[in-house]
Amino acid sequence: MARYGMALDYKNCINCKACEVACKEENGILMGADKHRIWVGTGEIEGEYPLLSIASNTFYPSQCQHCDDAPCQEVCPTNATYYDENSIVRVDPEKCILCSYCMNACPYDARYVDDRTVTVDKCNFCTDTRLDRGEVTTACQATCPTKVRIFGDLDDPESEISQVLRERESKTLKAHLGTNPKLFYLL
Amino acid sequence: MNIKDIKEFVATIPYNKVSIKDLLAFEKTPRNMLLAVLIVAFLAMFVIGVAIYLKHGHHAYGVTREHPWGLLIAVYIFFVVSSTGLCIVGSLGDVFGFKDYMMISKRAIFGSIVTILAGFAVIAFEIGHPVTMLIYNVLTPGFTSAIWWMGTLYGMYLTFMIIEFVFLLKNDMKMAKYFGLTGLLVGLSAHSNLGSVFGFLNARPISNGVYYPTYFILTAFITGIYLAFIMYGFRYKLKFPENATKMLVNLGKIQGLLLSILIFFVTWKMLTDVYGGMPNRAEVGVHIFESWTFWAEVILAIFIPLFIILKDMGRNVLGMFWASMSGMVGIMFMRYNLVHDTQLKPLQMLKKTEYQLTPEWVHYLPSSTEVMISLGGLGLCLAMYYVGTKVFNLDADEHH
Ligand code: SF4
Ligand code: SF4
Ligand code: SF4
Repeated sequence: MARYGMALDYKNCINCKACEVACKEENGILMGADKHRIWVGTGEIEGEYPLLSIASNTFYPSQCQHCDDAPCQEVCPTNATYYDENSIVRVDPEKCILCSYCMNACPYDARYVDDRTVTVDKCNFCTDTRLDRGEVTTACQATCPTKVRIFGDLDDPESEISQVLRERESKTLKAHLGTNPKLFYLL
Repeated sequence: MNIKDIKEFVATIPYNKVSIKDLLAFEKTPRNMLLAVLIVAFLAMFVIGVAIYLKHGHHAYGVTREHPWGLLIAVYIFFVVSSTGLCIVGSLGDVFGFKDYMMISKRAIFGSIVTILAGFAVIAFEIGHPVTMLIYNVLTPGFTSAIWWMGTLYGMYLTFMIIEFVFLLKNDMKMAKYFGLTGLLVGLSAHSNLGSVFGFLNARPISNGVYYPTYFILTAFITGIYLAFIMYGFRYKLKFPENATKMLVNLGKIQGLLLSILIFFVTWKMLTDVYGGMPNRAEVGVHIFESWTFWAEVILAIFIPLFIILKDMGRNVLGMFWASMSGMVGIMFMRYNLVHDTQLKPLQMLKKTEYQLTPEWVHYLPSSTEVMISLGGLGLCLAMYYVGTKVFNLDADEHH
């Protein structure tokens, strides 16, 4: 039983979007702008030429935060959204009634409707694809040219992610909402 | 009680046998004809809307990833608020024993049954898998989910309302009172749970908090009184007999009080939203304040009816009939606004150039399919009510 999380060295992101492609490919995500488990957020560059703010030109790669206290799980009327044995927040399409409550409740816009099952889908750390095959990396992590992502077991003190989180400062998104995300942005 | 008793009980429920011919035998006045044509048109729209939905799913609706709840959720809320409201009005007489209101109990309780059925008919085509819902609501209940509580309690409520109605028909006031009280309590908790569906959202500061769960009860009572005026207006073709006038004048006065309280609710909600300065709430509050739908709600549902009530201290029953029409349109805006405003603010995950333009506000426009199913819900409600007026005696029995 692991407690999987992900650390993102987000300042290394070059907005190549390879992770978005890899996720679609590996997990068979349908085409279409709305159908995404992962995205790269891009802030507008601030300032007037020539006084442009380079600091504002940051990319925010993101996906489901795998909250420890996930609002999407709390609001699900049929427990279709659940924590699996590795603390990964997942959706069981058998039980999902598509009430869309979770889409409204997730503060991170991490959920969308999969048109094949007509249920809600989101990042599941590649559980039913790569992890089930015995791999130890996620598709978005493996493909990243600048190695932004570190995926691993937060409960294992020897794992790379635990070491990195010990050594470097990090933040979580919208921490004030008390969702306790397991996605950490390295500062 | 064995099976035989139950059979006997059911067999002795008083009702009139009506044929299709009886249903079509209404006075062919222009007003009645217009209403009949409208109902048939709405029912046809329901069929067409549902057919389009079954073919295209949610793609037939205007809902998106950013705005997953649309018009049908608002219409569902509209109907269940109406139901709860009618249940409150109906309970005044048979549960709380206010003699003057006894005459409306049966009609109001019947109204509460048809409105909630219409609500269920509409929501069945918004929830993606209603059958799965019935199964897994029971097998793996999500006790932390306000939708679970709301749905389950409303299911129980409908059962109690039907039983109460049967006892009212049989003139068994004691049993009607027990089931009425239970139904009322379950209905009120179901209804405030519906408010908490929004109140629990910590991702949406504009809706988070105690406001909606309490405000829903208040607006339900208000809606119930509007519907009482409308039902009686049609029942007596706007020529109200003395006992009805007496009751309606009283209801009008109560309405005046409730609307004044509602003004406090809305004013302080707006003031704390806008001037409370909470990020993600203040700017949404300003946006709501500047939207025409908010003013449609305030003017139609509050100002016009309150003006009519205050002008003659509630004695203008005919005026209140029309004001109640305005009120119900306003209440529809109120429900739409609640659903839309909750989702107005984008969640700001910086998805700027990738998947969407930066919307300053999330846009939503109901699709024609959604409008058709919504009007269809209204058609269903009116049709069921009309049939009910023929099949059952909804007036108080003479010896009361
Ligand atoms: S980010 Fe959203 S979808 Fe993911 S666990 Fe948190 S609340 Fe749920
Ligand atoms: S849409 Fe599905 S996963 Fe989301 S809350 Fe409803 S039932 Fe649960
Ligand atoms: S972990 Fe897997 S499922 Fe999640 S965003 Fe990355 S590639 Fe997609």
